[in-house]
Amino acid sequence: MKIIAAFEKTKEISYTSHLDVQRTLQRAFRRANLPLAFSKGFNPHPKLSFATALATGYTSAGEWLDVELDGDVSPEDFMTRVNAALPNGMRFHSAFVADDSIDTLSKMLVAANYLITLYPDAPFDFEALDAAVRAILASDEVIVEKKTKSGIRPANIRPEILESEAVSVSDNTAIVAVTGTLNAAGGLRAGTFARALFERLNRNGRFTAHRTALLFTGSDRLPRLD
Amino acid sequence: MRGRESFVLLNTQVMDMLLSRVEKPARYIGSEWNMERKEVYDFRFALCFPDVYEIGMSHLGSRILYRVLNDMDGVYCERCYAPWTDMEQALRELHEPLFTLETKSPLKGFDIVGFSLLYEMCYTNVLTMLDLSGIPFLASERDESWPLIVAGGPCTVNPEPIAEIMDAILLGDGEELEPELVECVRTAKREGVSKRTLLERLSEIEGVYVPSFYRPVYENGRYVRTERLSEKAPEHPVRRVVRDLDHATYIGRQLVPHMQIVHDRVAVEVMRGCTRGCRFCQAGYIYRPVRERTKETLLAQTRDLVRCTGYDEVSLLSLSTGDYSELHALLPRIIDDMAEQKVSVSLPSLRIDSILKDDLEKMQTVRKGGLTFAPEAGTQRMRDVINKNVTEDDLLRAVTDAFTAGWCGVKLYFMIGLPTETDEDITGIADLARKVSNCFYRLPKDKRGSGFRVTVSVSTFVPKPWTAFQWCAQNRQEEIVRKQQLLKTALKGVRGAELHCHPSVLSVLEAVFSRGDRRLNAVLIDAYRNGCRFDSWAEHFKPDAWAAAFEANGLTMDEYAHRERDMQEPLPWETIDALVTVSYLRREWARAQEARTTKDCRQGCNGCFGERCEDYCRI
Repeated sequence: MKIIAAFEKTKEISYTSHLDVQRTLQRAFRRANLPLAFSKGFNPHPKLSFATALATGYTSAGEWLDVELDGDVSPEDFMTRVNAALPNGMRFHSAFVADDSIDTLSKMLVAANYLITLYPDAPFDFEALDAAVRAILASDEVIVEKKTKSGIRPANIRPEILESEAVSVSDNTAIVAVTGTLNAAGGLRAGTFARALFERLNRNGRFTAHRTALLFTGSDRLPRLD
Repeated sequence: MRGRESFVLLNTQVMDMLLSRVEKPARYIGSEWNMERKEVYDFRFALCFPDVYEIGMSHLGSRILYRVLNDMDGVYCERCYAPWTDMEQALRELHEPLFTLETKSPLKGFDIVGFSLLYEMCYTNVLTMLDLSGIPFLASERDESWPLIVAGGPCTVNPEPIAEIMDAILLGDGEELEPELVECVRTAKREGVSKRTLLERLSEIEGVYVPSFYRPVYENGRYVRTERLSEKAPEHPVRRVVRDLDHATYIGRQLVPHMQIVHDRVAVEVMRGCTRGCRFCQAGYIYRPVRERTKETLLAQTRDLVRCTGYDEVSLLSLSTGDYSELHALLPRIIDDMAEQKVSVSLPSLRIDSILKDDLEKMQTVRKGGLTFAPEAGTQRMRDVINKNVTEDDLLRAVTDAFTAGWCGVKLYFMIGLPTETDEDITGIADLARKVSNCFYRLPKDKRGSGFRVTVSVSTFVPKPWTAFQWCAQNRQEEIVRKQQLLKTALKGVRGAELHCHPSVLSVLEAVFSRGDRRLNAVLIDAYRNGCRFDSWAEHFKPDAWAAAFEANGLTMDEYAHRERDMQEPLPWETIDALVTVSYLRREWARAQEARTTKDCRQGCNGCFGERCEDYCRI
């Protein structure tokens, strides 16, 4: 049977890589004593696949994956057992049994929501942030330097930005919400968007990103892009 | 004096700033599965490893001590590893102290800060860790308000090069020693006694060396004797030995890291010590006597560890697992047991003569690892000198078995620069590789794999204290380079051969610190100030900075590394008693020069502990 489930990744554990998360989950599944289905071959490994990877350092409210089991486990039981075997900062909160006919998560993935916190080197007010966000949305092109395999080159990220909104500004931080495209081929990176904002605000600084949701099409059981 | 700030934990925002600046933030986050969390404790122990997380987390001894200390009532043992250079820079720029992984606390606030010393080339990292904690380097500069700074691990069999930095040095096995240390310090703190009184009490514990109670004396630029400064301190502190390994604390709930570490698997310690008596091998001498766990204990511990970690690989560890007396009863049971759970079993450090075809086939049922053999020397004469009692026939039979079972690559470890070595011994390495290669190509094509490789890995011999070769001169670098060239030429035309030579520059410094005296403390501190860090990492090793540090102190590396010691010369490390007697080592050196071997002590006692054999050894 196939279980589709979502877990949150918070606190320090957000500084582990996608590969680390894969390893951590595989070991947690073993500790939870789940009847894992293994791939064939000389180097058998559990059949586990993710909707997408999460950048190292980002936190997330819901990372989706599917896992194949050789035996029946209820979604509730699955979550209880795995959560008891997960380190602090990782916890499953949603799970359901999927039909065998269901498409892979990475094929159904279309977008993601983020909350980005900016830590600028000099303060600005809410109006400035709001104006910067609106300016981005009003532009036909948002050019940023993007790291690619062939080096750093300018790229237009405007098509990847679906929605955005200024949320709040306090003494030394500012929070922005953004929805960007995301699928197997790529999509909006929160960091790139943060840099575009810093540029329009005429500031430098660092940022942290929290993925609030992955958005899908094709299944009613998954969060949808409306 | 310490300020209040020493008890303030690093907050989340500071952590974010630090972690966002480094290449591998997972090294510093803690929160691993099985990490200890404690709310109530009155004694804090910082277990420090002076190398990066991936290496420190792989160390068996630290895993054991983490368990032993955290099993103590009211004691919270936290871990701290050497920050990589990017984190060191981030900490300096943000004016933040180095912190432990469990609670993100600075080291200053701990009662004991203990370092595990596994190799000499990590000594500068000890200084980095103290420096980033605002702790003065020299024991003499720290009063009772500072944490007690201690060190343990195999390097401490020559404690002198770090003797001025450490308040106390722990010799030998730590499982029983560390709790005694903690209790002694805890009581002293409760009573509010002076540091001097505390150190006197510590020096009475078996296995503790308090360097400030011993003063080395030099004449004409050489060490001549040690003066004892406290009546309470023993004349020769004795290395501590856990006598009953079967009932000793084991790792228990092994930590499971998030990131990949060097030995990323369950480690089960099958036995401690080795009976072979290879004359170059310090571990072989300083972990004596051999103590085994029973196979029932091992089976139970393996099951426990696999269950509580979720690892899919188990390693049966020891200096020579092939010599474990119940191996052929244990192996099939463990492999069957683990195969059910898709857990593979690996055996590092197998001896060529102990490997059996059946075991090879069994090991293959789950997963096929690399195959490594260590003939150590190329000719029988040389192997007799070093007492590596392995013959060419043993090796060729073992590799043929392995090749027949499907392996198509083998790695062979050798040393060059060994005492009495001639060019014939060097070319002998190539001859042996050629014979191994022939063993593979002699098999019918349908019975062997493809892509054959015989990797010849060559390191430079470093004479170590408490071995039969402790008096020997190390080959100078030019000589080592010449021998490496000679081997390279000799290996031409050997099918599938690949040569790896370890850089020899580092082994000179290793030789210096292995057999160094107390004057090296000042050199070490100067080298650190000259920017030396992570010396065992080629990209960080700064030979010029080291040379400057030696010069500034009026010392030469040559004197320590390349000078042959007189057999009667007093040696700086003989202040401590490592149990193996000097007269035994002299006997072994004499036999080595005649290329006479000494039998495995499972076949009868060789008397290495002198009159004390019966007290310690139960083989």
